[in-house]
Amino acid sequence: MRIIRGACWLFGVGLVALALQPARADDPSPAQLQQELKAMRAQLQQLQKQMEKQQELIDKLSKQKEVVPAATPAAAAAATPAEEKLKPEVVEQVERDIQPALTAANKTFPSQFNPAIGLIIDTVGSYQEHGGANFEFRTAELGLSASIDPFARGYAILNFGPDEVEAEEAAIVTTSLPYNLTLKGGRFFADFGRLSKFHDHDLPFVNRPIVLDEYVGGESQADGLELSYLTPLSQYVTLTAGAYNKIGGENTRVDNLDPRPFSEFTYLVHPATFIPISDAHSIDLGVTYAYTPKVVSFDFDDTEFLRNGKVRNLGDFELTYRWIPPSQASYRSLVWGTEVLLNHETWNVGSDEATDFKPETAVGLYSYIEPRITRRLYPGFLFQWVQSIDRQSGDTLAYAPYLTVWASEFQRIRMQYQYLDAPGDHESQFFLQWTAIIGSHVHGFRDR
Amino acid sequence: MKRLIVSFIVAASAVLCAPRPAAAVLNVVASIPDLADVARHIGGDLVEVKSLATGVEDIHAVPMKPLYAVTLNRADVLLVLGLEAEHAFIPALLEASRNPKIYRDGPGYVDCSVYVLPLEIPTRLDRSLGDQHPMGNPHYNLDPVRMKDAARAIAEGLARNDPDNEATYQRNLKQYVATLDAAIARWQQEAAPLKGKKLVSYHPDLIYFAERFGMESVGTIELRAGVDPTPSHVESLEKMMREQKVHFVIRELQYPAGLAETIAQNTGATLVQLPVMGGGLPQTQDYIAFIDYNLRTMLNAVPGGT
Repeated sequence: MRIIRGACWLFGVGLVALALQPARADDPSPAQLQQELKAMRAQLQQLQKQMEKQQELIDKLSKQKEVVPAATPAAAAAATPAEEKLKPEVVEQVERDIQPALTAANKTFPSQFNPAIGLIIDTVGSYQEHGGANFEFRTAELGLSASIDPFARGYAILNFGPDEVEAEEAAIVTTSLPYNLTLKGGRFFADFGRLSKFHDHDLPFVNRPIVLDEYVGGESQADGLELSYLTPLSQYVTLTAGAYNKIGGENTRVDNLDPRPFSEFTYLVHPATFIPISDAHSIDLGVTYAYTPKVVSFDFDDTEFLRNGKVRNLGDFELTYRWIPPSQASYRSLVWGTEVLLNHETWNVGSDEATDFKPETAVGLYSYIEPRITRRLYPGFLFQWVQSIDRQSGDTLAYAPYLTVWASEFQRIRMQYQYLDAPGDHESQFFLQWTAIIGSHVHGFRDR
Repeated sequence: MKRLIVSFIVAASAVLCAPRPAAAVLNVVASIPDLADVARHIGGDLVEVKSLATGVEDIHAVPMKPLYAVTLNRADVLLVLGLEAEHAFIPALLEASRNPKIYRDGPGYVDCSVYVLPLEIPTRLDRSLGDQHPMGNPHYNLDPVRMKDAARAIAEGLARNDPDNEATYQRNLKQYVATLDAAIARWQQEAAPLKGKKLVSYHPDLIYFAERFGMESVGTIELRAGVDPTPSHVESLEKMMREQKVHFVIRELQYPAGLAETIAQNTGATLVQLPVMGGGLPQTQDYIAFIDYNLRTMLNAVPGGT
């Protein structure tokens, strides 16, 4: 231990002796040292400035920090050539630095190509004087949509009703045909009139207008092919032409499954236009003509009872007036919508055994007015008058005040009273509808 | 029937084959006037620019007029604010326009937000949190610094569709950015009295403006973005405003005035009414005039601000 302490002492003395040695002749003088120090300081300052500039550029280019605006345009333009040269290097360096993060963020999954999915739940509570009360789960409607390829997109609406699951729509729509043409094929809502193209939950009131139920067969669901054309006019004018097995999801008079001659298809033409009256006022006008050369109907036992089918002509005139002040569009508007339908068809007014064909023309209409008085509240009034399609019974008259309350863009409650004056049925009806949207939701041009 | 079909085909062919006049300039359509104004500066005589919105609308509720589909049908370039700001009208109108050139991902579709650093990027997407914008708050047009990023995207978009004039677009971009920089420097100085002031707006569309000029956006009259306020929300908002000594209640002109006025009265805050797009008022016809107007209106509402 003593030996170690002695060695440490000797080592310390040696170090002091070395430190006290006089400077050698080749060592720099104090003046030289000062100069070197100055040069080093200058270099350091230059480096510091360069680093600051780099940092500024990094900040700007990497968007990590917002750039403080230059004091004057001249200062902004005063980038030196050295800075200009430095920019690509810095950009490259920043790109290299953030590449791992980008790679992590850009991971792909097979599910990324899955279509957009949305679900609409629509439920209605009702009380009818003669029919009693009921909670009706009307539908859970699953919507899927996605691009198919650069040339087409596809969508499907699957309807989970209380008793069945149905493909309400499943269609392919072209996206890149020339000459403003769009072709649609599959099962879809034919471009007939206005509200027959709306799904039940999208209607402005609880139930589909009686005339659409009677004459079209509910929604204008059709299996077929439809070509639509936006004319090259300065006015908005579209022309749609289509061919279908039949039109009307609940049109059970015509079979949808068996092959048939072309004469038993339904053909449709629908020109429509938009007339802007001012920034706030506008009118949508349209006329639809659906032509079935030969209606071959089936009764419920699937027995043909109209062997030599006759022509059916179904026409629709639609007029929608809108007042939407652009600056208050979120909480003020008024829509007045009217559709008049005319059906001309030959009916068997005799029996199956002794047929007696008689042509009949029937007319029906609905008209509603719906102001928007706040962001959430839409009161409205619906009037309906419909002749029975075969003119074998009296007319139906109905009127219905209603109030729609939107809790948000995705949830809605609607209350409706309806007085129905139909042949053999005169009653008051009360409805409470609750509709909600989950998931993907698009604002469709058709449903505007 | 055959005659009818033949007549239809002949008529359709005549319309389809009719020659259409060739476009001399790039036909640019912007979703909002601010982008249109920037595009006019960058494009100069080489472009003809139209805006769908006039500036008085709520960008999330621009009425979907069919005539817009015709305008878009003839467009070479479509400029959108992006970040899903135009979700209520642009996607449906694009489909109705039948113009693949300007479809999303098409060469003519210019998303002006590509270089913009957005604020309020949600960390969780859930409709209980209101009408969320998954990529961040889209109202960056109220920030003149971020509009320089939009201008860059516009210049690149124009050049992509008209490569022969790329140099002109880049030169015009530099000039416009320099003009904007000068205005920004002036605005930064003028905005000094606003530093640290707190504001509540109707919709969360003032955050970029507030941040740029040193203010703090502390709440909205809406319960959540796009969701109308409930009485309990208004009550708690007023309580918070009194506690935090909020200076301004901003009523964006496209929202109802009554509630904003009541809240301002109840809390002692100053009610300020602002457009959120250029063109929202007659004196805000171009972008610089628009920011200028908004800043001066705010300054008029603070002591020593004028």
